[in-house]
Amino acid sequence: MLRTSGNSPHHETHDSWHLLVFSVGGRRVAVKTLEVGDISHWDESIPVSGQTPFVTAVVRRNQAVLPVFDLSAMLQRVVQGSSLLCLRVKHPDGDMVICIDEVIPVLQTLDHAMIRPYQGTDVPAEGSYVQGQDEVPILSVSKLGMGPG
Amino acid sequence: MSPSAKREERVSPTSTSQPHFLITTIGGRYLAFEAELVQGVLTNEEVGLPRHDPVVQGIPYRAIDLVERLHLPCEWLLGKASVVLLADERSRGCVRVQKVHGILETHGAQVLSLPVQFRGPERRWYRGMILFDRSVALVLNTAWVFEEQVEGVESSTMSKGISSIAA
Repeated sequence: MLRTSGNSPHHETHDSWHLLVFSVGGRRVAVKTLEVGDISHWDESIPVSGQTPFVTAVVRRNQAVLPVFDLSAMLQRVVQGSSLLCLRVKHPDGDMVICIDEVIPVLQTLDHAMIRPYQGTDVPAEGSYVQGQDEVPILSVSKLGMGPG
Repeated sequence: MSPSAKREERVSPTSTSQPHFLITTIGGRYLAFEAELVQGVLTNEEVGLPRHDPVVQGIPYRAIDLVERLHLPCEWLLGKASVVLLADERSRGCVRVQKVHGILETHGAQVLSLPVQFRGPERRWYRGMILFDRSVALVLNTAWVFEEQVEGVESSTMSKGISSIAA
């Protein structure tokens, strides 16, 4: 379910960042591959009434229940596609899942020199890089659900 | 209208050490009550108007609107509903539910804590989660259910501590 772009992830060096680039509502977002659990098809989520921003549902995975982080709401986008994907990320408080566009995520390796501070404020980010005319934020998974980015 | 005791359906479980939960649907979501606190289940017709406090065997039960408190869809209220009677040592109340599925006996591993990523007042609303019917039923915290609905009560109750029935 992944495509590769740039150098092979097997040739890892300390000067490169290995990223998974995915889309939410057409907006490209990256996350470090080390923080990715898996990618699967999106099953229906189970709403949980509450007041935690962007954490309003769970999904069941066999005997486990994982919270859903609504990245599309944070980005003020609507996920695109009829066959959405589920990105599982490794949060310090426990794995979470994110509903993402049906577009197949891409593995990308970037030289550290290409990473720069993220200029936006819509998502918590460890940095960003420029691809074409877009600034792609590198998601700070540990800060998801911890308050404003 | 005062429902008779004969029409009250007792749902108390047999006495065992395993926790039991009454599984219901409210607003399209599975919500569970600790079965030991359930005094019975009545039909909507037996209870009367939605906000009418029913009297069962001479004992009043305060109507509790979980649809409003949990911000749930309310279209189902127009259809057939049941009313769950609840009581603990200090309080009595009744909750309208869309459907009663029955009592579920659980084992420790089946009761899960609410993920810690839920950081808001909802940590006090729920005591945990139960795996049910390929889905999840949220176990309501009866102490919160019995609380008077006062504006802002959710935020003020955050500091009162959080209890969990999960192992």
